[in-house]
Amino acid sequence: MRRYVVLSVVLWISLWTSTVYGGIHGFVEGAYGMKLGDKRGVKNAYNLSELRFQLKGLYFPNSLEALSGEVSLKGEALLDGYSEEVSFYFRELNLAITPFDSMDVKIGRQILTWGTGDLLFINDLFPKDYVSFFVGRDDEYLKLPSDALRVWFFTDHVNLDMVLIPFFEPDESIRGTRLSFYDGLRGMIRGREARRVFVEPKRSLENAELALRVYRTIGSYELALYFFNGFYKEPRGILDPVREGFFYPRLNVYGFSARGPLLGGIGNMEMGFYDSRNDPTGRNGYVENPSIKYLIGYTRSITGDFTMGVQYMVDEILRYDSYRGSLGTMPARDEFRHLFTVRLVHLFLNQTLRMELFTFYSPSDRDVYLRPAINYRIMDSLRITIGANIFSGRFDHTEFGQLEGNNNIYTRLRYSF
Amino acid sequence: MKIPGLYILMACILVVFAPDNASALSADEVMDRANLAYYYGGKDGVARVRMTIKDRRGRVRMREMTMLRYDVEDGGRQRFYVYFHKPEDLEGMIYMVWKNTDRDDDRWLYVPAIDLVKRVSQRDKRSSFAGSHFTYEDVSGRLPRDDVHELVGEEMVDGRQTYVIKNIPKDRDLVEFSFYITWIDKDNFLPIKGEYYDRAGKLYRVITAETIETIQGIPTITKARARDVEGGETVVEFRDVRYDVGIKEDIFSERYLRRPPRRWIRR
Repeated sequence: MRRYVVLSVVLWISLWTSTVYGGIHGFVEGAYGMKLGDKRGVKNAYNLSELRFQLKGLYFPNSLEALSGEVSLKGEALLDGYSEEVSFYFRELNLAITPFDSMDVKIGRQILTWGTGDLLFINDLFPKDYVSFFVGRDDEYLKLPSDALRVWFFTDHVNLDMVLIPFFEPDESIRGTRLSFYDGLRGMIRGREARRVFVEPKRSLENAELALRVYRTIGSYELALYFFNGFYKEPRGILDPVREGFFYPRLNVYGFSARGPLLGGIGNMEMGFYDSRNDPTGRNGYVENPSIKYLIGYTRSITGDFTMGVQYMVDEILRYDSYRGSLGTMPARDEFRHLFTVRLVHLFLNQTLRMELFTFYSPSDRDVYLRPAINYRIMDSLRITIGANIFSGRFDHTEFGQLEGNNNIYTRLRYSF
Repeated sequence: MKIPGLYILMACILVVFAPDNASALSADEVMDRANLAYYYGGKDGVARVRMTIKDRRGRVRMREMTMLRYDVEDGGRQRFYVYFHKPEDLEGMIYMVWKNTDRDDDRWLYVPAIDLVKRVSQRDKRSSFAGSHFTYEDVSGRLPRDDVHELVGEEMVDGRQTYVIKNIPKDRDLVEFSFYITWIDKDNFLPIKGEYYDRAGKLYRVITAETIETIQGIPTITKARARDVEGGETVVEFRDVRYDVGIKEDIFSERYLRRPPRRWIRR
């Protein structure tokens, strides 16, 4: 950590003394989230109480002008009242260059996103932080940065977008400290007493991850093919049930997506075959089975200031009989998980007031997750957000049902400069 | 109600009986030329756009952006790329439009904080652009063929000779106005005033060109005002306007959403 602090101070000073376009921008944000659920966390009155400070800048090094070089920096300091820790880190620290007319390169820490889903991801296997998402941080914190090399090749017919992540970067998984969850091994909801150990793949060449996207636009329609070679981002493999050791199984994903105008709105579809490399036959009850995920979505504006988006996703577990047979006493997931989402966004008062409701609903899991939020721009530089995360489910073991004890209402106040 | 009706009647009489001088132009021709003059200056263009939005209660908000434009064909398809500088928390957000003539426009939004390229369904072109009193259509242009045009007279406005054109939408369900009247400068064909009337025939919105400069030989509106009759207005200023800077069509693609062309976009 100290190394990062020193590094960041040096960097900021060096950039301050150079020509930084438009100077330094950023924000200060205070956030507090009241917990309405169970008493299983480390703290139970709240699960969000923090002060965040962000600085960002763009810098165009003279030496790289011929390559259109651009350095992007985004550093944050987080005073987290929940974990009682202060942390400093970069969300972005990368260099982008254009070595040839038909090629772009971005190297360093960066946020990576692709695919067509709205808060549903099939072919986007870049790391995510669902803890932040569930406790009421800004949506942007759902995305974790990756240390990666990204290379694009552009041709008249297709474009290639290639990401190499040398060192595996997992999702931020629920561990019981801030959010309680269903523990399949114990058959119960657990919180702070859980001592799960997640074993990450070794840092070696063969464990580097590769993500590819080949895409093109035909008329108004965007088509893409995807390939991923790496690991599940969640610890979907059990290493040692007694000691609660988990690992990240190997994963290949093959997928495609299409997006474009449909009936006065935007339609999208996406699918992905998850080839679970450590359990292709599904006989190993300790490793996630292969699966196929299908998604269709449709967004349209009802009036200029009112937009609605709906999505339907199906997650099909392959080799389901083997899966059932190898489970033991753990509750089984359905062969087909059906999930609907609806996003309603309404803008008021010259678009300074935004009211939003995002709903996840699974009829097969019989659970629901509601994300209402109101965002008001008090001044250009000052924004307040009030929202909630409400989970409800018939069963303890489903994706949202297990989070029932973590309902919360939060507020954030952000001053940008 | 009475006054505009009478006024239009008088204007019509004027047109019918006015001696046909140099202007043998029909209303359609005037609007086509106005469309070209206002939205298609040069083959491409770049400008720094500043919007000062004042709401009904007098609160002021600022929007600042860089706008790039490319004309695929004169009077036809266009590409727009709008990079937001202000407010600060939207810095780097990009709004891109492919203005089509044979189908709905294609629109994208890029959110830099999460590297997200999103398609935007903005069927309602008459909604507010970035919270201002200008609509999306004011920014990228309304196709002349979407209205029936009627030359209702000629008038002096701010010392300029103008054609007065009444525009009636062909499809009333797509717009919030029942008609609008534009005053087109006879010399340069720029629209220097626009009045929008609602379904009840009541004036509710006025757009005026405040400053016109000739840039690279092209008459250009560099300051305009959109005023809501019931209160609230937006002043838009175009600075550092440059035409024919060599913007290529491929700038208006996903590639340049993820990697903005800094040659034209600086903070």
